[in-house]
Amino acid sequence: MVKYLSQEWAEQAKKKVLTELDKAKDLKNMNASLLNVVQNIPPDNKTIYYYIKFTDGNLDELITSTDESIKQKQADFIVAGDYTTFIQINNGQMSSAMALLKNRVKMTGNKMKALTITKPIDNYNRCVNGVPTDY
Amino acid sequence: MKLSDVLETTKKEPHCGLCRIDFLGTGVCSAGKKHGFVAYYPEGRMELARALAEHEVEPTEALRDIVNSCNLCGVCDRQCYFVTQRRPTQAQHALQDYLKTLPPEALKTTPEDDIVKGLRAIVGNSWATNDPIIIASYQRSVIKQKSKGKYYIAMPKTTEEIVAIVNLANSHKIPYIPRGNGTFFGVALQTLLAEPATIEQGIIIDLWRMKDLEVDPESITATIGPGVTSFELQKAAHAHKLRANVAEAESCVIANAQNLGIVTTWSNTYGWGTDNFIDAEFIDSTGTIQHLSDKDIPNPYAAEQGLLSLSLIPSVIITKLTLKLHQILPDEEAIFVPFTNLSDALDLAHELAQRNIGVSLAVLSRKYLTEFISPTHEIAEDFNHIAEKYLKLNYIVDVICDKYSKKTIEELAKVTFGQTMLKSLILGSSKLASMKDSSLLKMIAEEEDPLKAVFGGPMRKHFEKGLAASPKELVKVFDKDLQEFFEKLYSKPELTDSIWLHNFRILPCRMERKHMWMYRGGYMPGDKETILKVVDALEKPAQQYDIDGAFGFLSYLERGKLAHLEYDYYYDHTDPEARKRVNKAIVESWRRQFAIKGVTPLEFICSKGLHRKEHIIYPFLPGLSEEELGHFEELIETLFGGEDTW
Repeated sequence: MVKYLSQEWAEQAKKKVLTELDKAKDLKNMNASLLNVVQNIPPDNKTIYYYIKFTDGNLDELITSTDESIKQKQADFIVAGDYTTFIQINNGQMSSAMALLKNRVKMTGNKMKALTITKPIDNYNRCVNGVPTDY
Repeated sequence: MKLSDVLETTKKEPHCGLCRIDFLGTGVCSAGKKHGFVAYYPEGRMELARALAEHEVEPTEALRDIVNSCNLCGVCDRQCYFVTQRRPTQAQHALQDYLKTLPPEALKTTPEDDIVKGLRAIVGNSWATNDPIIIASYQRSVIKQKSKGKYYIAMPKTTEEIVAIVNLANSHKIPYIPRGNGTFFGVALQTLLAEPATIEQGIIIDLWRMKDLEVDPESITATIGPGVTSFELQKAAHAHKLRANVAEAESCVIANAQNLGIVTTWSNTYGWGTDNFIDAEFIDSTGTIQHLSDKDIPNPYAAEQGLLSLSLIPSVIITKLTLKLHQILPDEEAIFVPFTNLSDALDLAHELAQRNIGVSLAVLSRKYLTEFISPTHEIAEDFNHIAEKYLKLNYIVDVICDKYSKKTIEELAKVTFGQTMLKSLILGSSKLASMKDSSLLKMIAEEEDPLKAVFGGPMRKHFEKGLAASPKELVKVFDKDLQEFFEKLYSKPELTDSIWLHNFRILPCRMERKHMWMYRGGYMPGDKETILKVVDALEKPAQQYDIDGAFGFLSYLERGKLAHLEYDYYYDHTDPEARKRVNKAIVESWRRQFAIKGVTPLEFICSKGLHRKEHIIYPFLPGLSEEELGHFEELIETLFGGEDTW
């Protein structure tokens, strides 16, 4: 078991995506970067930035950090929400699209482009769900 | 009587919420009025009886209190029978008998936890609960049926109490959701929209106690709280000879305003959305109180457009709304223009809209006309059959206007009828139904223009006479013990007064007498070609999935530039197969609507009623390409799973 959003978790998640997901079939050769801003993490309500970048369906980067400077990477999409919501997304209780629809997360970025990556991001989340995680 | 004996009735409870307002002058359920929670109203008792019969909830001590609070006065039977032909006292009898079968130890006590203690500290002990029995009564009207989540109900009285509830929810990291009268939920929760429209656990903020209502006749405005219904606001406005542009009687005005911007037949003149709203007080997700008129709030008019704008949970809770009222003209009259086909009806209605004729203007379907004015669903079906087969009456351009506009309409239309004929149709509807396949109707059908013959020609008098319209005749179709009440009721002028019925809208829930319905449709450019394409886009999925679909009504907006269409899918929501089919039809109708330029399906306007419509409707969306529609299908699959899971 690894702690959600820890360095170990990020490494395992990246490895799993790279080995298990097909770039074309599952990730639709997507080119997109996404910065998740995970807020109110207990016990001291800190924020963790969880950044992913895909090029032609390849997961180039998966970084988790408390350092705000990661914002300089200028992700295509920024998704901000509460830690409890990201747990629900990560453990498969709720898709990220449903979280958006329920106003649990706020997203900025090109909405039409977002539409094109809904399915691959869902596939990505499903894959990452498989990392034995401690919350 | 056993709970299972009334299960067929309780399962079909549509949660229209009309039993919570005094729309017939009978008064309202005294237990509900006293205790507030839905469980104490007839609607909630029906749901509770169902949930107990289906073993979805265990009895608690609250059950005894709920059952004993009812004095079987029968007000609910009169109200509910008028609308849905159901009798909630049967559910109450079944609950009473069920309670008698339970040993005292079977009624469990519900322990308090920190959250309910916190809620009670905010709203008072009587107005917050975590009791599963009370919570069960909110199923299918804000909570998904069979949801396993942990819920709380709180009934605040003030804005400050809501702020405290939001803060409490945030500190416990649980979601919350406001509930007005549950009318939107009652429909949406039977479909695949149930998931995005609900919370999986958390606090239901029942706003019913927030009934502040103040009319300012000088500025011709009203300021209301979120528990005020359309009926209540309209009644207060009418006391000053004013009118509010409001939706169905039972809907909470603020919820409706926030949700869809309130589009009605009056929108032809009064407008919609922010045309009618002056200021709003609302609470954001951090518990901060804001006003639309504040200078420093984030842009309240920012809204997504199109596919990604589907958001069924409002981002703020509106606690106060100031809205415009409108003066009632002294010479208003109702005038109806019957049509056989939609195309002709649209031509006339569009011309009237462009010329700003008609304070109220809509194209109404045969289905709405017959269902709304008939005392029972069976009569409505017969009336519908007669209208279609013999009278060739399929659409009506329904106008309320002044005497000058009336003259213009009479010049433009081949045939019209007014208040007198409508009253005859209402009071004579049961007689008309009994004339099904009669020689008179056959004779009418043989006329070259049956509509003209019945409504404008020499047969008009025979037809009216044949209806033998009177309250006494009409009420013969009601249960015997209710006939005296209904004869008196139908003798009141307002029950047959077209303008009153347009103002107070107590009839639309009659659509739910036989089956549940799901509204479809949306906003579109007002040209006929687009409208007919949209009707086709809604009709085809209904046919494809064997759903009973019917055109409802169409209102023109902004002098005919835009139109709002409601088309309905009728289905048995107690039948899982029918629910699957309706879900498939919903998705297919979205896909087809998005392919048409400028069309925004109804659900994609949700939670944007207070936004300036220009930001939602304009620029007109181009119809989606095949590739984009493919992405849309993927989005739907991500959100709701595949067809086989619906």
